[in-house]
This record gives sequence, C-alpha cells and structure tokens, in this order.
Amino acid sequence: MKVTINGREVEAHEGENVLQLARRHDIEIPHFCYHQKLSVAGNCRLCLVKVNGLPKLMPACNVVAMPDMKVETEAEEVKKARRDVMQFILLNHPVDCGICDKAGECRLQDYQHEYGPAESRSADPKIHRRKLVELSPRISLDNERCILCSRCVRFTREISKSNALGIVERGAQSFVERTGEGPFDDPYSDNVIGICPVGALLSRDFLYASRVWFLEPVRSVCNGCARGCSVQVWRRRKEREQQAPGMARTHSAYRVTALDNPAINGPWICNKGFDLHKTMARPRALQARTGGSAATLETALDAARALLARAQRPAVLASAHASNEELDALAAALGSRPKLQVYVREDCRPAPGEVVEDHLLIRADKNPNTTGARQRFGDRPFDLAAGHDLLLLWGEVGEADVPDGVRWIHLASFESPASARADVVIPVSTHFERAGHFTNFEGTLNAFEPVFDKPPGVLHAADAFRELAR
Amino acid sequence: MSVHVVSVVPKRPATVAATPLDATLRAQFDALRAVYPTEATPSLVLPLLHCVQEQRGWVSEGDALMIAHYLGVPAVQVEEAASWYSMFRRAPAGRHVVKVCRNIACSLRGAESVVAHLESRLGIKVGETTADGRFTLQTVECLASCGTAPAMQVNDTYHEQLTAERIDAILGELS
Amino acid sequence: MTEDRVFFNHAVTGESHTLAEYRERGGYGALTRALTTMQPVDVENEMKASGLQGRGGAGFPVGNKWGFVNKKAPIIYLACNADEGEPGTFKDRWILEHAPHQLVEGVLLASYALGVRHAFIYIRGEFDLPLRRLQHALAEARAVGLVGERILGGAFSCDIIVHRGAGAYVCGEESSLLNSLEGRKGYPRNKPPFPAVKGLYQKPTVVNNVETLSTVPWVIANGGAKYAALGVKKNPGTRLFGVSGHVERPGLFERPTGYSLKQLITEDAGGVLGGRALKAVIPGGSSTPILTAAEVENITLDAEAMSRAGTMSGSGGVIVIAEGTCMVRLLQVLTRFYAHESCGQCSPCREGTDWMNRILERVIAGQGTAGDLDNLRAIPTGISGNTVCALGDAASMPVTSFLRKFGDEFAYYVAHGRSQNDGRLTV
Repeated sequence: MKVTINGREVEAHEGENVLQLARRHDIEIPHFCYHQKLSVAGNCRLCLVKVNGLPKLMPACNVVAMPDMKVETEAEEVKKARRDVMQFILLNHPVDCGICDKAGECRLQDYQHEYGPAESRSADPKIHRRKLVELSPRISLDNERCILCSRCVRFTREISKSNALGIVERGAQSFVERTGEGPFDDPYSDNVIGICPVGALLSRDFLYASRVWFLEPVRSVCNGCARGCSVQVWRRRKEREQQAPGMARTHSAYRVTALDNPAINGPWICNKGFDLHKTMARPRALQARTGGSAATLETALDAARALLARAQRPAVLASAHASNEELDALAAALGSRPKLQVYVREDCRPAPGEVVEDHLLIRADKNPNTTGARQRFGDRPFDLAAGHDLLLLWGEVGEADVPDGVRWIHLASFESPASARADVVIPVSTHFERAGHFTNFEGTLNAFEPVFDKPPGVLHAADAFRELAR
Repeated sequence: MSVHVVSVVPKRPATVAATPLDATLRAQFDALRAVYPTEATPSLVLPLLHCVQEQRGWVSEGDALMIAHYLGVPAVQVEEAASWYSMFRRAPAGRHVVKVCRNIACSLRGAESVVAHLESRLGIKVGETTADGRFTLQTVECLASCGTAPAMQVNDTYHEQLTAERIDAILGELS
Repeated sequence: MTEDRVFFNHAVTGESHTLAEYRERGGYGALTRALTTMQPVDVENEMKASGLQGRGGAGFPVGNKWGFVNKKAPIIYLACNADEGEPGTFKDRWILEHAPHQLVEGVLLASYALGVRHAFIYIRGEFDLPLRRLQHALAEARAVGLVGERILGGAFSCDIIVHRGAGAYVCGEESSLLNSLEGRKGYPRNKPPFPAVKGLYQKPTVVNNVETLSTVPWVIANGGAKYAALGVKKNPGTRLFGVSGHVERPGLFERPTGYSLKQLITEDAGGVLGGRALKAVIPGGSSTPILTAAEVENITLDAEAMSRAGTMSGSGGVIVIAEGTCMVRLLQVLTRFYAHESCGQCSPCREGTDWMNRILERVIAGQGTAGDLDNLRAIPTGISGNTVCALGDAASMPVTSFLRKFGDEFAYYVAHGRSQNDGRLTV
C-alpha cells in the first residue's frame, strides 16, 4: 500500500508499524522501548510522530501503516515533543557517562546529542537510587541510569520466559528489580545487557574493562552447541593496542555480544555464548610433545607420520568442533588412505547443571559442527573393539576418552592432563584464529572470521593433516 | 543542597521462600476463586492480596509468592501488584490504621488540622505507629467524601465531618 | 418533578437501598420490559436515542460505545467503573449506598444489549458501606433470580462479579481498570486497540461509569427520546453534581445539564461559607481547568459552555474556593496527588508530575524563583498529549490554569518567599 512519509510517497507492508516503515526508508525515528522482537510498550514516548495532520501526536511503534496514511517525522511539534521527552527522561538521569561502560554505544547519549534540549531546565537535585546492584553474579543494575523502558522485563517475560525481572512500586518511585524465588540465573540473562538502551544493565565481567571505542567486533560463531549462534567477539583495535603490561590483554577478547542472524539465532544468544571468550581463553596446548616430553613441531610431526605409516588399522576421531574447511583438509589429506577410518566424535557433552535443550536456542548437542562432520564422514559410531591400532584423537579429550592399550596422537587446542598420556601431541589453532564455517543442526552454514593470530608453535589443523600425509 | 532520596530500598535477599498456604487461607482462596469464571483466574491476584492482608495485617514477599503459586501466575505479576497499589501494606502496622484524606476538598475543609490534631493526640507523625502498636497514622488521597469533608478512614470505617471532638470520640472507642 | 429525576426521585431512608423499596418505586420494570419485549439491539438503540454521554468524566456517547462491539464475538465483557477517585467527586458512592439496585438493573440491561455473560463491577478498594450495600443488593437480586442463570425465567443469563481495587486513582481510566482486573498493575494500555475491540483478556469489553449504567433503567422505562429532551440538546439528561469546598451546604444535587453553576453554588449549596466572596471554582473534578469568580457568573453546567470557557464539565465535581485561599498551596495539594497517583509507565507523566510537585514544594518553602514559574508553565506543554493516558493531561490542566488565572499570587510567593494569603486553605 502507498503511504506518505515526510512528503515522500513510499510502499508500506501489511501490518508494519510506522517505525519499521520509516527505518526501511532510511528515516530513523528515535526510540528506546520498542524492540522488534518484543511486545509494544509505548512508554518512552520518544517515537511520537504526526499522523494524518492530527494535532495529537502518536507513537510510531503503535501505529500500523494504513493506505494513504500521511506521516511527518520532522514537524515542529514532533521536534518539540522529542526535546520535552528527552528532558523528562534525563530529569533524574545521573549522567555517569564518564564512568559508565555504555558510553560510546548508548542511545541516550546519541539521542541527547541529536534531539535533546541543550541544557536541563531542572533546578532540583536529582533523585538518587540504587547503583551497582548485584542483579546476578553476571549483571550489575544501576537504577539511576535506568529509564524504565521495560525492555529487560519484557525479555524475561516473552523470550526467555524466566519472568525474573519486574518493575515495582509506582510513579517516580518505580524501579527494576529481580522478582521470584531465586537468583536471576536465567540462561539468557545477559541479553538484557545488550537490549538495555542505557548503562543500567551492565556485564560484570566487562565492568570497567575498556572503553568500547577502543574495541572492534569480529564476526564469529559460538561453539557451545549445535545451534552455532552468530556472535561478535570484541578485541582491541590495532591502533589502540595496549603496550603494557605484557601483551596478554591485546591477545584476548574483552567481551562477546550477540550478532543478529535471522536465519539462526535472531538477536539473541545464551549465556554460554556471552562467555565464549572465557572458554576460549582456557590454558592452551602450546607445546608439541612426544612420549609426554616437550618436542619441536618437526619432531612431533615426524613421530606422528611414523606411527601412521606403521599402523595397520588407523582411525581418525574427527572433532565436531572442527570447521568445514578443516574437515575437507582431513578428507583430502588422509581420507583416501587405505584402511584409515574416520569417525565423527562429539567432543563435548552437557556439563552437570548445564541446560540440555530448551524452547529457545540451546541444543543438547554441545558441539558446533556435528552436522558438517557427519555430512563428510557419516555417523558410524566409534567402536574400540573394531581393532584400531592407532587413534588420531582430534579435539577435547577427558580422562574417560583416553584409549587403553592403543597408541594415540592428540591434535589439541587446549591443555588437558589426559593429553600428557598421548604418544604425540600436536597443538592446533582454535576457530578464533582462522576463517571458516560451521554447519548447524538445521544444515545452515555460518561463517566466522579470525579474531587473533595463532600463537607461535601452533599449527592450523588443516596444515597438520597435509604434513601428516607427506 | 540536601539529597532528595525518594525511597530507601532494602536489599533483596538472594532467595525468597513462599509462605506456606495454611488450610484456613486456602479455603478462603478457594471460595474467592469460585466466584470468577475460569478464564479470569489471574484476576484473583488482588482479591487474594486483600485476603492475606485482612488476615495478617500486611503482605510480605513470601505471601506474594504463595499467591503466585496458588494461581499459577508468574511471581513477578503478584510482586509488582503488591508493590504498586497504595492499600497493600508491606510491613506490619498498628491495630488501627488511621488514614486521613489530604486531597483538595478535605484540605479546604480542614484536613491539615485533622492531621495536626491526630499527631498531637497520638504522639506520632504521619507514617509512624504508636509504641503500643495501637495506631498507625497515614495520609491518603480522595476517599469520595468531598461533600462530608474533612474525612478519614480507620481500618475499613469511614469517619466524616470531622471535628476535634469527633476525632477524640472516635479514638476513645478504639482499644 | 420526579419524572425529571433519574436518582433523586425518592426519599432516602435506612431501607431505600433494599430490593423491596426499589421494586416499590418501579425498579426492575425496565429490565422485565426489555427481556420480554425488546431485542438487545433495541436496548442499544434506545441508548443511542437518549444521547446519554458517559458520566465518568470523559463524556463519550454511551450508545456509540456499545455500537463498537462486535456482538457476534463469543465472549464479551462489561466492566462497571466504580473506582470513583476524581477529587471532588462522590456521586457514584451515593448510588452504591442508596440505589445499588438501580446500578444492578443498569448492568443487567447493558449486559443484555451487549451479549455479556459475566459482568464485573470494579469498585475502589477503600469503599466500605458502598461495597456492603452493593453485595447485599446482589445477594437479594440473586435470591429472586434477577442475577444468574436464566433471569426472570428467560434465556438471558448474567453473573455480576464485584471486584475490589486496591488504592490507585489511575485505575479509573478504563484501560488501566482492565489491566487491574486482569490481576496486574494498573498501567493504562496504548490505544489502539480500544477496549471495545480488545479489552478484558483481549475480549471485546465495554467499560461504563456507575452513574452512566444506573441511568439505563430510566431510559429504557421512559424511552430514549424522553431522556434526550432533558437538559441541553448536545449534552442531554440530568447529572449528579457534587458541590464541595467552601460552601455552606456541600452535597449532591441532581440537576439537568445546562443548569446555572452560580445557582448551584449560591442557592442549592447555600452559598460560599460564611458569606465570603467567591474566589474560584473547579467545575468538574480536580482535573478540569479552574474558573475565576468572574467566569462563574454566567456559565452553565454543560459540555459546550464549559468547553467555550476553556474547561470541562468532567465528573461533575464542583469545588468551591473562597476569597482568602492560598492558590499556591492549593495547587500543591493537587500536584502532590497526581505525582502520587502517576502509574510510572510513561516518561512525561512519571517524571513530569513529580517534577512539578517538587517545584511547588520548594516555592512553598520560600525557595522558589521566577525560573520555577517558567518551568511550571512549560512542563505541562511537554506532558499534555504526549502520554499513554489522560492522567498526564489531568495533572497538567490544574497547573496551567492556576498559573494563568492566579499568576500574580505565584509571582508574589516567589518574590517574597511566602504566601499572599498566609498559606490558608480553610476560611
């Protein structure tokens, strides 16, 4: 249908609201409380626009496009309303920008700059409220900064369904609070940090860690389960690398946020995804080994090649954390070797207390590329009784996985005590250190980019296979 | 310039346990529930909160959870409601809660004197409870007694066209 | 003449609220007539013909509101708004205490017209005697088959559920009332959708005021045209006007619309207290713009006249203010009220009402400045029209009108740090 927006005739879709319509035509109507995945709250009042010339402004988030509708987003009354609404929202806002992590990615800052009055008209002291409230071990709440948009409340009610957050009390005494019996241990809790338009809900892990403009996001994929949600991994910008003390902070990710991927996870990820940078920062396998002792990469590769040559019935247990590219390299290098079997191994199982599967994102298969691996190597279960005399174990290995009475080569990214019992250890890179793809449980491909360079002495598994094939 | 602190909020404990639902209260809950059509079960939040307050004198966090469990509604709904409506007390009060209207018609007809008289007689300020636990003094908004102002409500009972003498007589009747 | 009186057509005694007395004066005759000789649409048409406008304060034509409902919907609700909270208003209370059966009959007639099986009466939580009288009336009505299954032996069934509020003025706003009825905080809803389309539990719902519904039996008994002939044409009927404040005889008076406000004050209510001069009148509940004594001289109590004078007839709550009253302190009584009652959902009202009240508190404490008065003039322009519900407008109109009409007093207070009238509210 045809509507007019700011004098321009445009096409509107059935059922879309004026906010969505405007955005599709590159007209930004400022708003706080509206979120396309949440119910309409219409409480911030910042998106008020003029519709059909009527004197009473209407919230664009709650006006559905109708044929021949006339919308004005820049009329004088609209601009005044924005100034007034910004004044009200900022009336008791502490303006903590100097110490607030949200600075640089804060809609309140952006909108104040664009639409707000130059100065506050208030001569009264600001109302003080709770700050640095431990909403959970992961999230800090600041009730002064909160603008009561209710996004976080609606998220826990409508998306994660934990109903953990509410707004209690009335009028100017209202505040966001944890409700219900227990702690706020919703497995999706950290999403409220992202959707909070101000610095009221902050990650405690990231608290005071860095100014966001010193960081840049890299597109990656979470490896916590077979959903493979799209994420952004945040690292220091090259020109902002910290020089001292040491380079540890330069080679680590500061935080992980959700990357909107309509085909896989929408705008959400689970807390395991938010913790991705921490799981990737576990102690790494950096040292090649033979017979449990440190060795050079060359020595280790020679030893591995020798074992492969001697083996009558070698088997490769391919990691379900491997990328499609690495799996293809394995197939190319060793796949056609006679008597060599490749099995797909699901490295990771649900940990005690971990959510196995749920209504939203979390899948029981805790590996990102089981599908990609099975597509290439089938789903025959590995059976030690099949008489394999050499195992190439690729991926995470726990005590229970250590094969008995059989030689084994370990391609490892992370250090583990079990690894010390391998005949050969070859350290390999993580998916943070190269580009590639995972195929999720629905068969959807998801791409990741390298966040860091791989450490010295560590091989890309694809190169390792090519080396072993020589 | 003094800091305008609006409310001092106690720190919420890590876990809150639902108050166990005793048989008497459950029977009252069941009776109230029977009044409403089944699809309107969540409507019972307010009647049940009133019911608890009538029995206990106030509503605790645990009571809110108890009601949520009984109705099968999210705890947040009951907690929010319990905190939002003026009539629900969140802490114990005196045996007689004296609520004086402070709105416009009553103010024009002497509400401030009524408050002053009560403060003097009871020896407490608005918002406080007497040491012997008999009286809590509060101010409330319009009670729809504008034609018979000034007015107050003691627990459920309206007292209107108040004078100092009438107030003394009313207080005298209350144990 | 009693046929011109919908409510004050009998002497109020200790028994006049009972079923027996109500029947004695013709009560439930309209219901019987409707159920036996009229179709639901006939009842609706009579209401349309009557021109009756909602008596809660908003004044929306009742027949039109009923007309918005899709009568084919499987579930339709009726909610009677008995959450009387507008300062200066005490008429619904009278009806509940003294004519509860008239309300019950009205609810039943409306339910018949709309196809309602479960009707709710949302009564404010503070009400004591009104609640008991209403419950007593319903018990009487149920006992004789006037409420419940197969009323008067016919096909129409309707249950009436009394639901208590818990202390929130905003729950008198119809969408807030519905959220409260659903067991939640009384946050008003964004509209659209309107309650007639998606109301209680997202079903089509009509919300009507007590006085409005209690007028329905008279209309059905006497005909819509007869009601339309009462009072003034565009705002017909009689209304229960409540007079309070500085008058000799505060109370309720049923008068036709178009009645002289001055006459109501000086004759019916006995004139200003102690023979003092009149200073100001708030004509329709605290949310309506205030009138000066001069403006009251020739004004009539009907929608058009009120609108011409820049105010509204609202809930019919006339608040009289005598010379000598401090308008600054009086305004703060109101700003304190609106700040206390703001639900907190939307930013202009939540922040703005508290802000205006704090400014006035400071002015009253002697710390006001000219800038504060500028703010008091400006803040309402940022609230009004920008909020989810009309409470924002209701909070704004007193501030704007008091400052416009009594600006000198405010200027004096700011300049001298004290009231021009010794801070008097009583005279």
